[in-house]
Amino acid sequence: MLRSVLSKTVRDQNRSLLWWGLGLIILTVVTMLFYPSLSEATELNDLLVDDNPLIKAFIGDVPDLTSPEGFLNSQIFFLMLPLMFLAFAVAQGSGAIAGEEEKGTLDMLMSNPIDRWRVVIEKFGAMIVTVLALAVVTWLGLAVGAVAVSMEISYVKMAEATLAAALLGIAFGGFALALGSATGRRAMSIGVAGGVGAASYFLNALAPAVDGLELLRWLSPFYYYSSADPITNGLHLGHAGVLVALTAVLLAIAVVTFNRRDLGV
Amino acid sequence: MTTVVETHSLSKSYGSVEAISEIGLEVQEGEVFGYLGPNGAGKTTTIRILLDFIRPTSGTASVFGLDSKESSRHIRRRVGYLPGEMTLYDRLTGRDVLAYSASLRGGVDWSYALEIAERLETELSRQVRTLSRGNRQKLGLVLAFMHRPDLIIMDEPSSGLDPLLQQEFHRMVDEVRAEGRTVFISSHILPEVERICDRVAIIRRGRLVTVEDIGTLRERALHRLEFHFGEQVPADAFAGVPGVQDVTMEDGVLYCTVLGSPNALIKAVAGFDVVKLVSEEPHLEDVFLSYYGDGENNAA
Repeated sequence: MLRSVLSKTVRDQNRSLLWWGLGLIILTVVTMLFYPSLSEATELNDLLVDDNPLIKAFIGDVPDLTSPEGFLNSQIFFLMLPLMFLAFAVAQGSGAIAGEEEKGTLDMLMSNPIDRWRVVIEKFGAMIVTVLALAVVTWLGLAVGAVAVSMEISYVKMAEATLAAALLGIAFGGFALALGSATGRRAMSIGVAGGVGAASYFLNALAPAVDGLELLRWLSPFYYYSSADPITNGLHLGHAGVLVALTAVLLAIAVVTFNRRDLGV
Repeated sequence: MTTVVETHSLSKSYGSVEAISEIGLEVQEGEVFGYLGPNGAGKTTTIRILLDFIRPTSGTASVFGLDSKESSRHIRRRVGYLPGEMTLYDRLTGRDVLAYSASLRGGVDWSYALEIAERLETELSRQVRTLSRGNRQKLGLVLAFMHRPDLIIMDEPSSGLDPLLQQEFHRMVDEVRAEGRTVFISSHILPEVERICDRVAIIRRGRLVTVEDIGTLRERALHRLEFHFGEQVPADAFAGVPGVQDVTMEDGVLYCTVLGSPNALIKAVAGFDVVKLVSEEPHLEDVFLSYYGDGENNAA
């Protein structure tokens, strides 16, 4: 595990991955166990009758809360899962360069014959590996839960929706990586990436109900995650492409800015 | 002779603050080169430019004839580095710290690395966070030496090492020199530099003061000496002794400063009953005094 910056960075996360993985398993399985009781409570859908934008802001625009898709969207996919992936990826991204720099280990790392661009790329690769590992764990939790409560849902579409959430998380992780690479400041990078994440969540979630916002919705990365309803329709390749392209741009910014600046002591 | 490190008019400013200014150095292959200056003089700044951690505001630096910025990876392949403020990965064991660097270097002669570690009595099986400052310093030294680099750059290397290990460290430096490899050591401690370096550059407030052979430096070094006498000694007994300055006699104690060799003074003192001799380690500021007369006002 100490053969490269990538594998070393993944190794550093082993404890964190364990806890996050455990948390995601519990979250998904326990949520699924509520499905049988919820699926019979059709009066829950009365909540949707008023077309209350505040409720939609937290559960999404769900036509039927008691269907498997409506249940999964409202309980897991609209808010919880992207939030979890976003938080994990932002922590990774901000720590990648700025974390080592603030701890003071970057000097020793960079005294080895390795290019700066390569350090950024490998750190980014480690973030992808760890976020995808959590995505796999999440999917397993969902699948186990679905089997346990005999939910009629496509395992492939659950995987696709989970992947979409992972791509969203990675995009924000890329943003945090770029901020940290450009400035060397970890806390700032977490704060800004997290704040922009929260703002773009609400921009996307409230846009349908607020007049002026509708036009700006496309600015929110969350739009490219949830608007095509991946749990119902599968991964929207165009939208996924936007998230991947955004991530690539942020990675390029991270490489260029890190390459240009002085390293902190 | 091959020039290993070369800088021309190297300057680095942070805003209006000049960290270093117009530094011109030439370090030859096979020498142990000292970079001497008080804390904050710009030693670390210079070293960090050589490793391309920071970029000069103006001027150039090259190592092995390669530009420090353009060819940094190729340079670092052949350089061992010990930082002044060293932080290693807390949760790795010493052995893992070495293994990680070895991997990033594409492999090293592991038996040699272990031999170095053993000579310095390095703790390899414990996590770095449990190690004392001295033990971390030893790990840092192993990292700097283990891949047999052509150039070893060390920023204040012996801080935290106990005297026995300092001797071992000095032997290791001598061996590197004997193999024709090059060592660049920064320090603010004159005696340390005197002991292991062949040539010394002195830097003060970001500017190069002088580059001297160690012998020349020694001749210009001022030693403060005190002789306590067990008998009455005439006040003017040492007035004309060559190399002796600032002579004062007080209550049977002679205070003076000696430039270069103390030989003449020792001969002169030998005629009296000496009960105690105090010799202070020469101070860096005294060296500056010998170059400037008045170190404060003529620095620029």
